[in-house]
Amino acid sequence: MPASSAPRVNSLALLILPSALLFALFFFLPIGLMAVMSVLTGNPVVMPNVGFTTRHYARMGNDSYYLEVIWTTIRIGLWTTLAALVIGYPLAHWMARIRSRTGHALLLMAVLAPMLTGIVVRTFAWMTLLSDKGVINQILTSFGLITRPLQLMYNETGIIIGLVHIYVPFMVLTLTGVIGRIDERLEQAAENLGASPWRAFIEVTLPLSLPGILAGSLLVFALAISAYVTPILLGGFQIMTLPILIYQQISANFNVGFAAALGMVLLTISLSLVIAYNHVLGLVSGQRGLQ
Amino acid sequence: MTSLASRPQSRLTVSAAQTTTAAVRGRAVPRRWGRRLYLAANIAILIFLLAPIAIVIVFALNPTPFIQFPPVGVSLRWFEKFFASRDFIHALGFSLEVAAMTTVAATVLGASAALAIARGNLPGSRLIVATMLSPLMLPAILTGLALFQSYVLLDVGRPLWGLVAGHTLVTIPYVVRTTLAVLHNFDVRLEEAAQNLGASPIRTFFEVTLPLVKPGVMAGAIFAFIVSFDQFPVSLFLVAPGSETLPITLFNYLKFDLDGTIGAASVVSILLAFIVVIALDRIVGLRSYVKL
Repeated sequence: MPASSAPRVNSLALLILPSALLFALFFFLPIGLMAVMSVLTGNPVVMPNVGFTTRHYARMGNDSYYLEVIWTTIRIGLWTTLAALVIGYPLAHWMARIRSRTGHALLLMAVLAPMLTGIVVRTFAWMTLLSDKGVINQILTSFGLITRPLQLMYNETGIIIGLVHIYVPFMVLTLTGVIGRIDERLEQAAENLGASPWRAFIEVTLPLSLPGILAGSLLVFALAISAYVTPILLGGFQIMTLPILIYQQISANFNVGFAAALGMVLLTISLSLVIAYNHVLGLVSGQRGLQ
Repeated sequence: MTSLASRPQSRLTVSAAQTTTAAVRGRAVPRRWGRRLYLAANIAILIFLLAPIAIVIVFALNPTPFIQFPPVGVSLRWFEKFFASRDFIHALGFSLEVAAMTTVAATVLGASAALAIARGNLPGSRLIVATMLSPLMLPAILTGLALFQSYVLLDVGRPLWGLVAGHTLVTIPYVVRTTLAVLHNFDVRLEEAAQNLGASPIRTFFEVTLPLVKPGVMAGAIFAFIVSFDQFPVSLFLVAPGSETLPITLFNYLKFDLDGTIGAASVVSILLAFIVVIALDRIVGLRSYVKL
């Protein structure tokens, strides 16, 4: 390889070593150990004669309960992603197109404020809004619109509302970047040629923002399927998702092997999403390169 | 003559103008409504985003021990209860301690790694960046589970360094990202100029590179602090009973109680977060680091 295209590695490269060590010891090694634990019959430290087994995975495949849990997790993730997209898109569009700098800063603040509020606090906020004696039910009752409180939480709807609120900022920030890069003159050209703003949006802006939609959706889905606090509190311990089941296996049953196997399932789903996400982001930046 | 000639012409112009206005009006009506709908939808979305935070603040100041809407008064009893509770104060202190240690570790490691990636001519730097950012996308609950299992296997218990290592891992991506963003944005020729003027690479680093990347590193550090302070899933597995972080303590309290103390605790965290955001805006400006 010619020297000009591959400059020599210099001494600054050594600065990567501390992080490399941290990742090796506290990330790759533990995840490797988790993979090993998922196919062992027990804890090799406590029990001297552990062997290889696939029983943890077989247990998941044979018992429809565990498949149901995995499906519930994915279903909640899909609804959360769809809702976050529908709610996030208009706001992202406004943020990308707003002319006033102050307006943009205020919108950014509004999107970042919930992000900086902490997951437990935001889940608590939704509990005060959605519970039987919560704000929404009290308002509806005082107006005489309902006589019995609506069941807004302790079900999947409540979980999805809470998750959408927590992850919509990620969708907005991803989409804003992509929409902002679409040349506004393309929309104007479509309108000058007689298209209504709505049609210009559907036929010009929306297709061009598809990579952002895909990247944002993958991100929100990956975050939603690994949520723990919101599903457990807004689900009122009634609805079982994969992260809840994993923690239960550790805290209540101390079944480390089965927890590891469940962890491997979540890891596989997430890894495929990460790869897809990076691929889509590559497409986005490739598109920018063409402009 | 002129009047005769101009009359039909002017009539033509007028009728043309009339048709244009009619056409414009015909299109403008749905356009105006479309615009209103667009703004209404966006305001509804903003309310959805911000109302829960407002409700928490109202709830923290409301004197009744249950949720009541509209609120009946203003009191600070929940703040008193929060600051009088040894559990909450201990947890708040412990969270700040862990966040401070995490911030130092993540900033030093992350900023060094970013420098190595941007200036070290490492082979496969794209893969290295993807790896360094991966704790962001991989479920943090898995990081917690994997570390917990390793500590169990190695029989080390649940040490403080183990918790800080877990937090460092999930906060490093923020520092790497903000530092890399600054390193990619500034002109490499500044460094080259310094070297052409006779500065050694080390002197160039300390006198040119470091001052220029400082805003990115600072933004990353503040991000690391917030993320560590709010971190839940890793802490869930790694905190030792009796010394829990604030989010874990809040979570355990929430499982059984829904009174205003949680509201007060939330307001304290929100205030901390806002102070940090304002500091962040002062130091680097908000736009520069919000890139996903």
